[in-house]
Amino acid sequence: MREYRDIIGGGFLLVLGSSAAIHAVTSLRLGTVWQMGPGMFPAAVGVVIALLGTVILIGGLRSSGPRIEVDHRSMLFISLSVIAFAALIRPFGFVPAIVAVVAISSRSDARLSLAGIVLLAGSLSMIGFLIFQVGLNIPLSAFNWPR
Amino acid sequence: MLNDLLLNLALGLSTALTVENLIYCAIGVTLGMVVGVLPGLGTLATMSMLFPITFYLEPTTAIIMLAGIWYGSSYGGSTAAILLNLPGTPSSAVACLDGYPMARQGRAGVALFMTTAGSFFGASVGIVLMMLFSQPLVKVALSFGPAEYFSFMIVGLIAACVISDGSAIKGIAMVMVGILLGVVGLDVQTGQARFIFGIVELVDGISLVALAMGFFGIAEVMWSVRQAAVTDIGRVSLRSMMPTREDIRRSWMPMIRASGIGSFFGIMPGVGPSVSSFLSYALEKKVSREPERFGKGAIEGVVAPETANNASDQASFIPTMVLGIPGSATMALILGLLIIHGITPGPAMMAERPDLFWGVVMSFWIGNILLVLLNIPMIGIWVRLLTIPYHVLYPAIVVFICIGVYSVSGSTFDVFLTLLFGLVGYGARLMGFPAAPLLLGFVLGPMMEQQFRRAMLLSRGSLDIFVTRPVSAAFVLLAAALLLWSLWNVYRARRAVVSEQPS
Repeated sequence: MREYRDIIGGGFLLVLGSSAAIHAVTSLRLGTVWQMGPGMFPAAVGVVIALLGTVILIGGLRSSGPRIEVDHRSMLFISLSVIAFAALIRPFGFVPAIVAVVAISSRSDARLSLAGIVLLAGSLSMIGFLIFQVGLNIPLSAFNWPR
Repeated sequence: MLNDLLLNLALGLSTALTVENLIYCAIGVTLGMVVGVLPGLGTLATMSMLFPITFYLEPTTAIIMLAGIWYGSSYGGSTAAILLNLPGTPSSAVACLDGYPMARQGRAGVALFMTTAGSFFGASVGIVLMMLFSQPLVKVALSFGPAEYFSFMIVGLIAACVISDGSAIKGIAMVMVGILLGVVGLDVQTGQARFIFGIVELVDGISLVALAMGFFGIAEVMWSVRQAAVTDIGRVSLRSMMPTREDIRRSWMPMIRASGIGSFFGIMPGVGPSVSSFLSYALEKKVSREPERFGKGAIEGVVAPETANNASDQASFIPTMVLGIPGSATMALILGLLIIHGITPGPAMMAERPDLFWGVVMSFWIGNILLVLLNIPMIGIWVRLLTIPYHVLYPAIVVFICIGVYSVSGSTFDVFLTLLFGLVGYGARLMGFPAAPLLLGFVLGPMMEQQFRRAMLLSRGSLDIFVTRPVSAAFVLLAAALLLWSLWNVYRARRAVVSEQPS
């Protein structure tokens, strides 16, 4: 196995750094070293990132490393639960959003039972209510109905 | 001088002893204990989860609470290390080496008691140093110009990458990415928007909360779901905690040495409690007459690292508060909090807000005393807490992250941004890139740019300014030495690998 971690990571940095530098040079004023414009610093940072990325990439091509084990399931369900939260919080309030996060994110390892979900979501809603509405008085409504 | 100190102490005590500050100090240290005890729930993640709440508090109160989480977790971290052989926090990894063998010998109680004693001792030394040296250091800090500030930040960033575990070049790359992310938003000097790509929400810059919660919250959960496991643990009674006279005789010198090491490395930017605890363990093993006892339940091997990391925790506040330069990602978060509250840490803050500085210092005493109470009479609670399974914890963590981010500005954009950073952070972790340097770069980046541009204005565009001013030159030399040292280490490691391979 090649050291794919360094190849991917270094490659990503190379792309990120060079596109940042190009963006800074083309769309921002560079100025002179004496009186630096807004583009000078990010351009320099971009170049350094690209250089470091290249070094890491080359190092990765020349060495071997372990297999990369991605936990797709956790990635998927936790991402979905955050998206569900963002979609539900404003129209429906924080209790439905919390229920959705607990129900969806706990599918990552599917070890929390239905009763567990109800109990956990219920107690988290309670804590949220106490902290945000009783304690800090933040305008976050528990239940809403979209109009 | 002495009179000033007494006046400051009185001011600090009157600030720290208000009901509100006492309550939040207690909340902070208790939460710190919780996250310290639970492996798989990080200090940085917890601090970033509570970050939004702190917007509704006085800045002093906010720091008292966040700082409590930070040093409280160091007390808690050793509990899991001793009982389960799992470090609750990175800096307590060393405590596993001798703490777990002690637990296997039925001496877990003694180990827990002595680490608490050591932690308190180390923290006390760190706080005393903070009280004595912060004022003289302010005078030094006032003589700093832009060149000195810039060089000092470079030293801190490089030290953070080189000395921390893992690959130094990946650490430096992450610092640079953090600095780049810090560029997003309005340029302070010209008012021009940079790197916002037409997204209105990015004009004020990337939210520190979204960044920290993504990288240390979401990414950490994705990473830990499959890793966490709970094993059976016994009970710890109060009586079993009593150390023998032999234990105390063996421990007091290591405590003194370890608090020296911890304080020294705490003040140095970029060198955190983890390094301090490793070094003090190594030192104890070296000076011991019976080094063979180490790794088999030597009390010194538990006490020394736990003393050192607490001393280091407290001492690391010195550069953050006095110079306004955070030495670690945690300190960067505290600095970011102050900046959001409109306070720029540094010599000016020390003069204008003595109540803040001294209030925080005195709260450390209160917090540490509370931690001793939490750790010795109430140890049973923490032992039971260790049995909470991770599959109950992580959905709760995701909930707190979402609500936390959303409550900052009521913006779903920030929630999506957090998810994006979470996915990037998970990817970075898979590729072996550390996340802490990124946060450090993100907070330091804008300051570095300002200082660099100022230095260039002063020197009319000549880089000589960094080496002709003696203090700055010393920092540049130190940074160069650190870089060379890390390159040498890589080179040596490569050679070792090559010579091992049969060819």
